[in-house]
Amino acid sequence: MRYRRRGLDIASHALLILALIAFCLPVWLAITAATHDQASLYTGTAPLWFGSEGLGNFRAVLTEPVGRLGTDVTRLLLNSTVMALGIAVGKIAIAILAAYAIVFFRFPLRRLCFWLIFITLMLPVEVRIMPTYKVAADLGLLNSYVGLILPLIASATATFLFRQFYLTVPPELLEAARVDGAGPWRFLRDILLPLSKTNIAALFVIMFLYGWNQYLWPLLITTESDHMTIVVSLKRLLSSADNLVPWQTVMATALLAMLPPVAVIVLMQRYFVKGLVDAEK
Amino acid sequence: MATLRLNALRKTYPNGVTALHGADLEIADGELIVVVGPSGCGKSTLLRMLAGLESISDGELAIDGRRVNDLEPAERDIAMVFQNYALYPHMSVADNMGYALKNRGVPKAERRRRVEETARLIGLEDLLDRRPKQLSGGQRQRVAMGRAIVREPRVFLFDEPLSNLDAKLRVQMRLEIRRLQKRLGVTAVYVTHDQVEAMTLADRLVVMNGGRIEQVGTPMHLYARPASRFVAGFIGSPAMNFLNARLDARLGGDILTLPCGTRLASPIPASGEAKTVCLGIRPEHLAVVPEGDVIDGDLSVRVELVEPLGADTLVHARLDGQDDLVVARIDGIRAVAEGDSLTLRPDPGRLHLFDPETGQRLAPMEPECQHSTCPA
Ligand SMILES: Nc1ncnc2c1ncn2[C@@H]1O[C@H](COP(=O)(O)OP(=O)(O)OP(=O)(O)O)[C@@H](O)[C@H]1O
Ligand SMILES: [Mg+2]
Repeated sequence: MRYRRRGLDIASHALLILALIAFCLPVWLAITAATHDQASLYTGTAPLWFGSEGLGNFRAVLTEPVGRLGTDVTRLLLNSTVMALGIAVGKIAIAILAAYAIVFFRFPLRRLCFWLIFITLMLPVEVRIMPTYKVAADLGLLNSYVGLILPLIASATATFLFRQFYLTVPPELLEAARVDGAGPWRFLRDILLPLSKTNIAALFVIMFLYGWNQYLWPLLITTESDHMTIVVSLKRLLSSADNLVPWQTVMATALLAMLPPVAVIVLMQRYFVKGLVDAEK
Repeated sequence: MATLRLNALRKTYPNGVTALHGADLEIADGELIVVVGPSGCGKSTLLRMLAGLESISDGELAIDGRRVNDLEPAERDIAMVFQNYALYPHMSVADNMGYALKNRGVPKAERRRRVEETARLIGLEDLLDRRPKQLSGGQRQRVAMGRAIVREPRVFLFDEPLSNLDAKLRVQMRLEIRRLQKRLGVTAVYVTHDQVEAMTLADRLVVMNGGRIEQVGTPMHLYARPASRFVAGFIGSPAMNFLNARLDARLGGDILTLPCGTRLASPIPASGEAKTVCLGIRPEHLAVVPEGDVIDGDLSVRVELVEPLGADTLVHARLDGQDDLVVARIDGIRAVAEGDSLTLRPDPGRLHLFDPETGQRLAPMEPECQHSTCPA
């Protein structure tokens, strides 16, 4: 049903434009602020246009140690990327194998395994964070990539999604593969993985964002700047109790922190959208 | 190219259902065996046990004299064509066909050669780069066939491979399967519930009922000498007519008396006192008798329904004074209308008698078989 009414048209467009402004204005302000120097940001009004510094602030944060962080943003971006990639790849790999076992193999306590995985859906990281921290500390995983990634690497959600997908694969496909001489690994590699390509792409995007945006866990497990992630650092940049907040630096860092997730979404969106729209089977 | 031996093969599913109560069968090299039976009689179960997709609960299965009970499907060197084809959706036709060869480590060039050769054999040359999604049902069926052929297996297994095709294509593919199987000389087991398909394809037919093999023989043998009422009713279309009759000894020959009072000469001798039997007459063995020619033993009927098929006409008629309906297949030229009275004469040499309780064949007992391929 499509109504063509002038009043409705104007109202809906006005709403759209408002929403657009609400989304874009902060980003715009961040971009302009990142091109000013500190003095011009403390004049009382937020600048709506580019300032005198150009890309200078970006160059500075990428190459020189930033304020009290003790390291440059390049290092922070690298740390975050390693963590987000590790979590995304790890979660997907583990979920694929777990779901494969649950759906295609008959072993004792199979149902129990599935339900145990399933109920951990109800346990977010924050609930088990103290015991996890204790274990990680005892294992000497503080300030390490392994410590950043390992506790977050299993995903009940992803396992569940892969399980649901595998259940829709016709059993004859497995039987045909068996007759064709494909063992369990071959079946996984040659048939199941290619069929779940779009699901993997979609989950990769979601899990990369999840890993990138982690705050509490990296905050706990990293005490030194060489393993700090960029999301945690942003917050630390803001809490300069004695000084004026260096907004131009904060904004430049924040914009840089947005780039990798945006890049991942843009790169993957072709598969991602396909995965959501047509379940190619 | 192989022989198969099934020895008291049983299957009990984990949920306690016994789908196969001991099947015995010898399959000769190059033979095309068709397994027929009603839905749920265990046909697929039997086939999947041959393939190795279901475990064998009891009994022994041997291919070329070697016990294969515990071998994986791939190790049995069989190829299977599934009802829904089970093509790998993300692979091209060529890759689908070559997948088994690839898993066996056949080099790429050799693989390509064999796939192309098979594609030519079944007319798929132009489709090798397509995905299954881009094919019609009939073409997918061909690819499934090609995938089985290209491996040059010892045994072909088919589970209702044609049931997803339209009637015309089914007839065409049926002929093609028969032609290919004979040309390649590969032993094949073919499951269907379509008895026309079964009759036309089979070297030998296996009729199953309720998890048991009822009878094994050439199609014509099963048609002419069904071992039980079940087989008699299952083979032949339209199905055989069954009438209750009383068999007793009379002076001058043993007599079958139908409830309507009609008397027929019995094909078997009566033994002692009179007993009830089940008389089977095929629709095509009832002939219309011209008026005035009526003799003892002819059936007077009133036509209830006429189904013209072109060459033949099926007449559904009620025996006079009876509830029993009989079907007769008569010449299509003859004009018959509903409500007409007709006289039908059963072919005396083609009466079948069955025990009404056990359904076993009473008569005529197996004479020496006219067909060379009949089992002893
Ligand atoms: N996996 C299973 N677990 C338990 N029972 C089964 C299983 N598969 C089949 N059965 C049962 O075994 C019996 C035979 O099934 P089967 O599939 O062999 O029949 P079919 O002759 O192939 O029938 P159709 O013509 O409908 O395909 C049926 O009663 C069915 O319910
Ligand atoms: Mg079946």
